[in-house]
Amino acid sequence: MSDTDPEIGGDDAPNHDAADGHDESDGGNRGLSDRTAFWTSAVLALALAVGSVWLVGVRAIQFEALQRVRPTVEGGGVGTGWIQGNTEPILDWLITLVHLADVLMGVFILVMIFIHWIAFRRLGARMRAPDAPRRSDAVATDGGEKE
Amino acid sequence: MTNLDHGKFSRVTTVFHSLLALTVFLLFFTGYAVAFNAELWWLVELMGGNTGVLAVHRIAGFALIFLTAFWVFYMVLRAGGSVSLTEVLPTPGDIAAFVQDLKFAAGLAEERHPNARQFAGYSADEIPLLSYVGKGVIAIFTVELLLLMISGLLIWQKTMLIDFYNTQSVVIAFVAFHGSLGVIMVMGIMFHTFEHGFHPAFYPVEMKAFLPKSDTPEYHGEAEAGSATGIERLRLKPSWGWVTNVMGVLTIIGVVSILITSMDYGGYPISETLVFGEGSLLRTVGVNIGVLVLFIGLFLSMYGNVLRARYMRQRRQEDRSTTTATDGGTDD
Repeated sequence: MSDTDPEIGGDDAPNHDAADGHDESDGGNRGLSDRTAFWTSAVLALALAVGSVWLVGVRAIQFEALQRVRPTVEGGGVGTGWIQGNTEPILDWLITLVHLADVLMGVFILVMIFIHWIAFRRLGARMRAPDAPRRSDAVATDGGEKE
Repeated sequence: MTNLDHGKFSRVTTVFHSLLALTVFLLFFTGYAVAFNAELWWLVELMGGNTGVLAVHRIAGFALIFLTAFWVFYMVLRAGGSVSLTEVLPTPGDIAAFVQDLKFAAGLAEERHPNARQFAGYSADEIPLLSYVGKGVIAIFTVELLLLMISGLLIWQKTMLIDFYNTQSVVIAFVAFHGSLGVIMVMGIMFHTFEHGFHPAFYPVEMKAFLPKSDTPEYHGEAEAGSATGIERLRLKPSWGWVTNVMGVLTIIGVVSILITSMDYGGYPISETLVFGEGSLLRTVGVNIGVLVLFIGLFLSMYGNVLRARYMRQRRQEDRSTTTATDGGTDD
């Protein structure tokens, strides 16, 4: 790439004056000289071009690495995904933890059932038998009569 | 109508409790019909077959998220303020209440601790709003529901997990986690049913979860000498003894069966080879007994609302009769 102005017929001096005049007439020009604009555009364009191709490149399937029959899970061969998803250590550990919590809570809940069952029987024994005679001071909100 | 304890729930709470119960039971029936398919295949057929059953599960899951979110917002935003957090957090008294309950069951204590009372008999301010069991239920529910909702949402669309982990088999881990987590909830609800359905003073269902505080009559009689609660004045229902024993046995069989079955299945890691489950008659019977206990819980939740409706109607009739006859009509 040459170091000359990119403008057509860029060798004659009046053209520079015309460019200066161009500065005054064009309100959209932010005052960059042609040279700076040229290099800035070049760098930006290169970044965009490289970046876009890189972005597509890293997301593309590498056919060389796809579905290879390899003898190890580490090698990433066919069926590896299934093995890896089935042996995720953190998840394995979490599920073991939940099973442990199930057992602990289960035992505790069983204890609570037994406690309440026995307590209910004790409380029931203090209450009056179903065939006991009616009493006037039994707790009744409907105001039963004395007998 | 049996005699009533001091009311505890507001009107909104009673409705919320019943809707939550309905939702959670639906989730149990659909979820475990899938998880324990060999034992509960008939439930799958009953609830829409292989495709329908999880649709019902998801609808109920959505309802659960809505209900609990509504509840939390309502508690936080309500003008009157909510039940303060201090009433929900466990205190040393609650531990003492648990220890005393153990002693009471062993015959080493004469009374249950005030923090354990379902049947109070004292004045309302002597009894905490929540028993130690009630606080435990709230704590476990909070943690469990949160984890169940999060794990449930993660397996709602399984492609999201597959995309994240870049493997398909990992999804099963989340499904297994979700199912094992629910087991604590199932066992807890079985106990909850037994605890609030079979107290001799409240049998067949404790009304304080169904009758709003504002409608609960409070009896402020003098307790007899030597009596802390006045429970001695109450008459046992004839069927209480054998029904409670049968329910106790069924609840224990249900809890043990579901616990063992969930441990047995595990679900993760996925088996390397095809497994033909022979099934076990004993386990099938046990798991189905567990589902029966849950169904009784659902039934009692409905029955509590029926009793409330009957009671309110009875009170309306009494109001009408007292306005016409001021000399106090006798009972029919």
